[in-house]
Amino acid sequence: MEKEAALVIDHVSKSYGTQQALNAVQFSVPKGKVFGLLGPNGAGKTTLLRMLNGITEPDSGTISFFGQSLSRHHLPRIGYLPEERGLYKTMRVGEQALYFAQLRGMEKEDARAKLMHWFEKLEVDGWWNKEVSEVSKGMAQKIQFILSILHEPDLLILDEPLSGFDPINAQRVRSTIQELSEKGEATILLSTHDMGSVEEMCDEVALLHHGNLILQGPVQDLRDNARDGQIQVTFQGTVMEFTVAIGASAELLNVVSDAPRVGEHTAMLRLSPGTEQSAWIHWISGEMKITSCSEWQPSMRDVFMHAVEQTSHSVS
Amino acid sequence: MKTLKHIIYREWITRVRRKAFLLGTLVAPLLIALGIGVKIWLASSTDEEAKVLVVDASGLISRFEDRLDTWVPICPDCFPERSTVTYRFAPESLSDDDFVTSDFDLMVFFDDGILQHSSANYFYEKAPAMGTTRTISNDLASAIERFKVKRDLELDYAAYKRLKTSIRLVGEDVITRDGNATGRALIGFVFSLLLFLQIMVFGMHVMRGVIEEKANRIVEVVISVVTPLQLMTGKIIGIGLVGLTQFALLFGLSWLVYVVGGQWLEANEWLKTSADSAVSVDLETWMANQSELSFLLDVNWPLMVFAAAVFFALGYFMYACIFAAIGASVDQESDAQYLMIPAMIPPVLAYILAASSIENPEGDLAIYGSYFPLTAPIMMLTRIPVGVAWWEVLLSVSGVAVTAYLLLRVSARIFRIGILSHGKKLTFKVFWKRLKQRN
Repeated sequence: MEKEAALVIDHVSKSYGTQQALNAVQFSVPKGKVFGLLGPNGAGKTTLLRMLNGITEPDSGTISFFGQSLSRHHLPRIGYLPEERGLYKTMRVGEQALYFAQLRGMEKEDARAKLMHWFEKLEVDGWWNKEVSEVSKGMAQKIQFILSILHEPDLLILDEPLSGFDPINAQRVRSTIQELSEKGEATILLSTHDMGSVEEMCDEVALLHHGNLILQGPVQDLRDNARDGQIQVTFQGTVMEFTVAIGASAELLNVVSDAPRVGEHTAMLRLSPGTEQSAWIHWISGEMKITSCSEWQPSMRDVFMHAVEQTSHSVS
Repeated sequence: MKTLKHIIYREWITRVRRKAFLLGTLVAPLLIALGIGVKIWLASSTDEEAKVLVVDASGLISRFEDRLDTWVPICPDCFPERSTVTYRFAPESLSDDDFVTSDFDLMVFFDDGILQHSSANYFYEKAPAMGTTRTISNDLASAIERFKVKRDLELDYAAYKRLKTSIRLVGEDVITRDGNATGRALIGFVFSLLLFLQIMVFGMHVMRGVIEEKANRIVEVVISVVTPLQLMTGKIIGIGLVGLTQFALLFGLSWLVYVVGGQWLEANEWLKTSADSAVSVDLETWMANQSELSFLLDVNWPLMVFAAAVFFALGYFMYACIFAAIGASVDQESDAQYLMIPAMIPPVLAYILAASSIENPEGDLAIYGSYFPLTAPIMMLTRIPVGVAWWEVLLSVSGVAVTAYLLLRVSARIFRIGILSHGKKLTFKVFWKRLKQRN
């Protein structure tokens, strides 16, 4: 398994004074996949990403990069788009792009040719000779994204890559990330709070909270595991009628009024142990007017919230 | 190394192509040229031709010449024929109206009072040039001196001139055989001043550059590619090269202005040792005759320029390390103010000491100041034109180089921690903590 891993984080810890930023975190990132690194603010994500970029070092634990202990000479094989990003305002766009490409060890002419390709693809061409101070925030974001992928890294680390984009450009960047992954050109480590993007792009995720790893696995598995036997029922009638109707056959978790004027509500409930789901649906359809009924599929947002809340409760 | 080269180049090119840099670099040599030009113009200016009526009621300096039927000076040599000033003498003054309608430009009253209080009144319709009044004053002084010599001493003026003695002290270093130490110390001070300004200006550039990178949030991208030490070193060297470029352009252009301007002035026969001299001289001879400029010819300019470049490089590097660490430790420039005060004390102190060393360039203050690394770059430049032993220069350079290296190591540590820290209120305690922090 580890031979196939792009990254293996093994019992990595880091503290700043009395604050424990990472506590013996361990997980691996499979090669060629899009891996989501999730967690609320202050969870330790940025600390970990900075370690992967050689900006800081772990107090203890190891990080392996494609089977080798991670060191500074691996940095040219890593692309990084930090959340806190900017460009030199007094430089021209093309000149600045070439500067960063050369810092990453690319030859000038090779960098120029690749930049032209990406500028055209992401519709930044025409801005080559403009000063950075003249370009819009979204345009600057695209340039920064290009700079992180230009040298065709084996590992691409993206920290909130879609923040600041309008929906059209966000979709364009999202497609590019998926394209890079599908072509097997890069393993992508995606840190984001946008759970829609996680569901759409990530194969696997790791969830950090207060420096600890609290959840890890393939996205679909995590969502399936979080189902918890809950079903979602949309009915017509009053909540009282519905409560009386279900009796002890199910535990009513919550009710949302979708269309109060026609008396339509959506209820979340969990069937009592031993109750068979399809038989129960058939039975309740005879008692009430049921518009729809389905097993509840939690979103990644639900998975995230549930895991974080559970950890917080257990700590308190 | 290649990475460092790219950082250095970026820091250099983005600054030297700014209009403000070109303007600032070009203005200084032009001002020097303008200053020398004004001096030459004033010195060689023919002024306007002035016809002067000297009213000598007491007959102290003029007499009536029957043959010519006019008043003439007793001492014709005192009032030589000039293109700028011509004299006529009369025992009585003209009325105001007559003066206005006459062809005289000035009417000078020469009476007994001049012997008591050494001043004479003159009237004019149009104010004369300063050169004209200076010439008249000199001529009258010469005439009255002859009068006094004859009246009071009963001496022949030629004999008096032979007896009259003035002493000019000419100093000479017993080892180097060089003289005019104060004049050359003044040049050294000018270099010190330039160095002080350059260290301050470009040190601030380093600090602002670091703060800008932090504020722009670009630093995280950069240090994911290069080490903080590479970034800091590249920035310091790149901006230092901007300073050296400015130095080179400044001296190159000044030299060009001196050579080309001198040739042009010589070709146009502008350079005369005195305003009424008919013979034009070359620029060096002309400068040697100007008391305000002659000491410039005593300076070993190539040595001074070389020494300034070396001490600028080392001195700037030393202070730039401190400024970089300060820049990395704050989020905005205003937060840096109180950290800058202790950092600025040594160069300001060196500047004050350098200024006070002009009159005593080989005093203890100047000597010890030129050994102490934090003041050495500025202080040593004041001493070099006066003459310094090679081992002293070596000691000074070595001290500054070692200090610069140590400061680089210390600053790099603060820089590495501070560059990614945002929002933390900076105190000396935090500064010290970062200094001790490993990673």
